[in-house]
Amino acid sequence: MIPFLRRLGTLSNVAIAGMLMICAVVPSVAQQRRQRATPVPMPERAVPPPTPKSAPEMAAAEMPRETVQADISTRRVAVTSNFTGTEIVVFGAVDHSRQPNPESGYYDVIVVVEGTPSRLVARRKERVLGLWLNTDSLAFQSVPNYYAIASTRPIEHIASGDVLKAAGIGFDYVPMVLAKGAEAAGAAEIKQFRDAVVRLKQREKLYSEVDYGATFIGRSLFRASVDVPANVTVGPFETRVFLFRNGELLSRYVARLNLEREGVEQYLYEAAFRFPLLYGLATVLLAMMAGLLASTLFRRGAH
Amino acid sequence: MNFYLPIAEMSVNILIFLGMGAAVGFLSGMFGVGGGFLMTPLLIFSGIPSAVAVGTEAAQIVASSVSGALAQWRRNNVDIKMGTVLLVGGIIGSIFGVQLVGILRRLGQFEFFVTMCYVTFLSVIGGLMLVESLNEIRRVHREKLSPSRKRRQHYWIHRLPLKMRFHRSKLYISAIPPLLIGITVGLLAGIMGVGGGFIMIPAMIYLLRMPTSVVIGTSLFQIVFVTAATTILHARQNQTVDIVLAVVLMVGGVIGAQFGAVAGEKLRGEQLRFLLALLVLLVGLRMAWSLVATPGEVYSLSTGTGGFR
Repeated sequence: MIPFLRRLGTLSNVAIAGMLMICAVVPSVAQQRRQRATPVPMPERAVPPPTPKSAPEMAAAEMPRETVQADISTRRVAVTSNFTGTEIVVFGAVDHSRQPNPESGYYDVIVVVEGTPSRLVARRKERVLGLWLNTDSLAFQSVPNYYAIASTRPIEHIASGDVLKAAGIGFDYVPMVLAKGAEAAGAAEIKQFRDAVVRLKQREKLYSEVDYGATFIGRSLFRASVDVPANVTVGPFETRVFLFRNGELLSRYVARLNLEREGVEQYLYEAAFRFPLLYGLATVLLAMMAGLLASTLFRRGAH
Repeated sequence: MNFYLPIAEMSVNILIFLGMGAAVGFLSGMFGVGGGFLMTPLLIFSGIPSAVAVGTEAAQIVASSVSGALAQWRRNNVDIKMGTVLLVGGIIGSIFGVQLVGILRRLGQFEFFVTMCYVTFLSVIGGLMLVESLNEIRRVHREKLSPSRKRRQHYWIHRLPLKMRFHRSKLYISAIPPLLIGITVGLLAGIMGVGGGFIMIPAMIYLLRMPTSVVIGTSLFQIVFVTAATTILHARQNQTVDIVLAVVLMVGGVIGAQFGAVAGEKLRGEQLRFLLALLVLLVGLRMAWSLVATPGEVYSLSTGTGGFR
């Protein structure tokens, strides 16, 4: 009986100690969360959230104009042999934010990440004598290999078509430059091919549009993330951040990052395009050695 | 286990390609064929750009045929003179083939062209093999001996100029037929990423009438050097040789071939040929299907830093 009680005592001691520890941890977590979620009270709080109509006048009268700044989580992404894609996280802040809290939806943010431009030919198959073969094609001098939009809500709710067009936001305004002589195809034809490029790139996850992919995590701080698949072409990436209020573009900011090949792949890729003859010779030499090695290894194993 | 292929520019599961290399290696070891005509379609089916599949497969054939060629060489089963004539033709054909790949790629017709080539060759070769193996099986069942082939003395090949003496094959014939055979095989190697043994061996036996003892060794000798030249030409001209993919296929291939050779000894020749014929026809049908079936998407994009794929 006594040993049992003693054991019970130690057990309860442990339990109490554990609970104490939890109690010690919980407040600090709660505190942190509170610090993150609720902004420090500021003079602006006295100002009621301006109604859509009066906003521009009030902004001009009382406050310096809002500007947006942003940066990317990693300035350089290395594409190595086990590269299976990555996530680009964009952090930004609104200077002179008048937003009462992150949930208010006072501002809208659109982040556009545009990849390296490259040459591209779009082709269309047609049935000829029962067989499907490429008949028409359209050559582009440059098409961004990657194009992602992350926004606080669907972009067509954020601003009108004209505003988006002027800012170059959206799949319809992806900067695609036609190759010389390709303009002759006619506007309707070009539109069809453009749409096909966007559709196919979307299927490859190279073009994406993530509504609600950007969120405010503080009165002025926001974050957006876009996925970069493994089949992306390396090179410089441009990230444009747009700040909107009631369909009006308030500010924009451009940040850059670089996708680079690293390690063995970089050497192989460069060798293949810069020293193609040596690359070919090396491949053949490797193949011959592999074949000879295998034959000696297995012969020894067999006998 | 994902791996990034630098030239194909895609991330793939390396185990799938290792398994594919092993499976084709097993079949090639069992049937005694190169396996290029199975491997290239498989690579295309699995999403590797056609041109990269062709260029890379050429490199793999070098690895898979070099040990066989060396073994035949040691047994003195290679007619060097005949092999050299075939090789000269092969390199000429390969140069044209690789150029043609580049031109067709720029026109956007390479995929269609290579598929057509495969459908034609696979159905003809598969059909012939099927008929031949079925006849053989029937003959073995009836326990009858086939009448021996009559050797035509005045063969048109013997009337051609530029005669050469091939000591090892005990032949005195014009250099033009072997040169033409070499050119054909080289063209096929360049365009289709195959060794071409399935064309060359029957041609050597039935057209050139070479003794069967030197046919395999001489064709392997030619294949090693022609596919080596094809690999270098593709790398130089089209930048479509993926060294990472090639190594994966080589490793899978040489391992699979060892087990295939053991399995092949346990099966009878005509049964093996019947199975291979079915397999060849199946791959041909699958390729034909991709030509006639309505595609889900009629548009396609060709990009690539080094050129258009």
